[in-house]
Amino acid sequence: MKDILSRVVSFAAQKHEAEYAEVRAQRLFKTMLTVKEGRVEAAEQGIENGAALRVLVRGAWGFASVGALDAETLIDAVSDACKMAKAASSRIKTPIKLVEAKAVEDKVVLKPRKDPSKVLVEDKINTTSSLSSTVLGYDNRVKSCTIDYLDVTGTTFFMNNQGTYIEQDKLYVWLGVSATALQADVLTSSRDAVGSTAGYEVFDVETPETVGKRVAKRAVDQLRAKPPKGGTFPVVLAPNVVGTLVHEAFGHLAEADFTLSGSVLAGKLGKKVASNLVTFYDDGTMDGAFGSFKYDDEGVPSQRTLLVKDGVVTGLMHNRETAHKLAAKPTGNARAKDFRVEPLIRMRNTIMEPKDRSFEELVEGVKFGYYFKRFRGGEANLDGTFQVGTQEAYEIVQGEIGEPVRNASISGNTLETLLKVDAVGKDFELWPGICGKGQSAFVCAGGPHIRVKGVLVGGSA
Amino acid sequence: MLSLAEDVISSAVKKGADEAEAYAYQGLTTTVGIERGQVARSSRIIDCGLGVRAIVNKAVGFSYTNVLDDKAAVEETILRAISSARASKPDENWLGLPPKKLLGSAEGTYDSKIVELHAEDLVEVASVMLSAAEQTDKRVFPIEGGAGASYLSNAVANSNGISVFDHGTVIECSLATVANDGKNVTPVCFEFNAERKYDIDPEWVGKEAAGLAVSALKAKKVETKGSKVIFTQFALQQLLYYTLINAVKADYVQRNQSALKGKIGQRIASEAVTIYDDGLLKGGIHTGKFDAEGVPQQNTLIVEKGILRNYLYDNYTAKKEGMESTGNAARAGYLSTPSVEATNFHIMSGNKSPEKLVNEAEDGLIVYFVQGAHSSNPASGDFSVVVAPSWKIEKGGITHATKGAMVAGNIYQVLANVSAVADNERKIGQLVAPWVLVENVKVIGK
Repeated sequence: MKDILSRVVSFAAQKHEAEYAEVRAQRLFKTMLTVKEGRVEAAEQGIENGAALRVLVRGAWGFASVGALDAETLIDAVSDACKMAKAASSRIKTPIKLVEAKAVEDKVVLKPRKDPSKVLVEDKINTTSSLSSTVLGYDNRVKSCTIDYLDVTGTTFFMNNQGTYIEQDKLYVWLGVSATALQADVLTSSRDAVGSTAGYEVFDVETPETVGKRVAKRAVDQLRAKPPKGGTFPVVLAPNVVGTLVHEAFGHLAEADFTLSGSVLAGKLGKKVASNLVTFYDDGTMDGAFGSFKYDDEGVPSQRTLLVKDGVVTGLMHNRETAHKLAAKPTGNARAKDFRVEPLIRMRNTIMEPKDRSFEELVEGVKFGYYFKRFRGGEANLDGTFQVGTQEAYEIVQGEIGEPVRNASISGNTLETLLKVDAVGKDFELWPGICGKGQSAFVCAGGPHIRVKGVLVGGSA
Repeated sequence: MLSLAEDVISSAVKKGADEAEAYAYQGLTTTVGIERGQVARSSRIIDCGLGVRAIVNKAVGFSYTNVLDDKAAVEETILRAISSARASKPDENWLGLPPKKLLGSAEGTYDSKIVELHAEDLVEVASVMLSAAEQTDKRVFPIEGGAGASYLSNAVANSNGISVFDHGTVIECSLATVANDGKNVTPVCFEFNAERKYDIDPEWVGKEAAGLAVSALKAKKVETKGSKVIFTQFALQQLLYYTLINAVKADYVQRNQSALKGKIGQRIASEAVTIYDDGLLKGGIHTGKFDAEGVPQQNTLIVEKGILRNYLYDNYTAKKEGMESTGNAARAGYLSTPSVEATNFHIMSGNKSPEKLVNEAEDGLIVYFVQGAHSSNPASGDFSVVVAPSWKIEKGGITHATKGAMVAGNIYQVLANVSAVADNERKIGQLVAPWVLVENVKVIGK
């Protein structure tokens, strides 16, 4: 493989005057299961082999993707990419340049305790079946259970014309589960996920029983929940919601491509944007976490990137292009979903650092407010307006957790909200997820419990 | 392509499959990308592959590959589909792959001019759009966008004799902008134009995307109260995608995940609402002769003057109820098995001009985009979203942009409160719809 890729990048540099050329190849194998109420809809297995060719010619990017790995096809494709770049370069005003990155030669070999590619499909079906039985057997008001299982194994190859060559084993295990419950006219839903880059052993901890009960209980508990009041209230957020807030409301705005597009973090480096209690990281090096990897898709080592320290913005997430533009160091955040697409700046494991408060201390000062325990989804806009919707929330009345409320969401301006963080817990949880930014990326988000003085709560009905 | 699919079927049956289906796909896409005010990239993506469903003893196995020119790889894919089926469990509701049927005609889905386009042509399209935006107002910053042209073809064959091929084209251009007046940045504003024929208007897209951003400046907070709200097509598409569109899929209905279960023949929306799922809509983005199982696409009445008439079915969900597939099977290319999906979800136009609708909204909001629609409760239809950009309507005219406002409610309540629909229909993804005016929507402001 190394010889073929090497020929391809030198061909681009020599025959097409590419300033920069890279080829990213993959040989991956996937297993997927969709299980509905215990019925295996389809047991699926697939091969995805292919290569992505990316070049810079006259300051513009050219990209080509093909589902093949032979030298001839790749040379044709890289020529295509160079032609594409030349076409785009005709209108370039500010030529694109890349920050320097140290040349690396490395081979990343994974030795999982339980390699998913060696686990029989029958065993995977058994795991999902027993999860399904746990969910449906929890309570007769649970009416449906959908499970999506995915594992990916294989190897990716990266080479550029600057001396970097990396072979990297890939391993992902993902399981998403959702349940609905029904009582009279009330229909509720809940979902949960398991994700790991360590191996199939993740199910030894996140057993079908543990995950199943968590999901089913939430759907059932929501049956007696009431709609929240709309308006501004103090809130306590659980690690799962804090993670989503860090990821959605802050993280996306700190992706340097969005910052350069004019997100509210533009020009905020070194400035105070949040309460002293706020410290954020994007960490691609956490062992086994769903957002971890050793090298990104530009061949840059992954790292622990400090984004906010004690309320002050200390860094952004970069690829080589934005790092050059903002005179920063590359942070290893360039990720592509697969060989069909170009790498974008993506988060890895995005977290808030814990401090010293107990959960009781966070709640006790709240006369009336809400406790948001589990997120459903979230989204931010460049102007800093965010929304995080939840599937599990409770009232807080006179410092005590009260009645459950359903379908509540919180919204506000990121920077105003982060200034209102007035207490941070000492616990910590990390949750896996799949982030969408045109392409999907496997990530984690997490943190401790926190309290925010006032947030707009969107009540339904 | 079709012969590859047919060969796979005979080979699969020989290797022991009771039934087999092959789906072959090829896509060629050329794009030009705008980044932060300039055309900065161009790409060409070739993706082809084969997905094989094999049924053994009522258990379904599936396998795919994107290596097609290697006979051994294709054979291995067939074997893996069969071994997956053998490893799986029988499904008592499995009643066979779909039978062969005569296909209807789908018009306006292919244009050879799109196939012949080069990157240079798309650079021109993108540049026209970009200059139109820049010339509109200097406070506008085009953050991203571009132009793309695709040629897509697919073939389906199964052991019941289905053997069909079709191809089509799509061209699109889009631009996302923000405006910055030195004090405030607007939310992202977006416009686009996608067609099956080479008939797009990049200049209009550029002007509109820029115009929206400028008018989103000087936003003000609004009061918390029940208001009349006009949802434009973008906002409707976002809200309906996670709620109503799922709720009419037979899979969701059969599995107790739909609030519309048991409601056929009942009122679920106001008189003003009539909806078809039209898989044969001329020039529709999701128009095609057949669906992902080779079943003819059709025009299905979903809601007639507020009364629920039909659900959407693929082969499996239809057979389970003794019904016929409505041609609503879809796939993620060759990578997945079929599942129920809407085609062109068509909310029928009324006869009011958009101006008249704004006039009737008196004291309300007009919402272009919502943020957080994917956090709606998929089962109950409850939603709670940020509206941005959105504008306040006062005395029947649009006055100023709103800041940080949310709307919350239930999608079925929204449908019941639709008081008027405009005549300005357009295509946005799966949705084909005009603006709609909804009474008494809860707006949360300060």
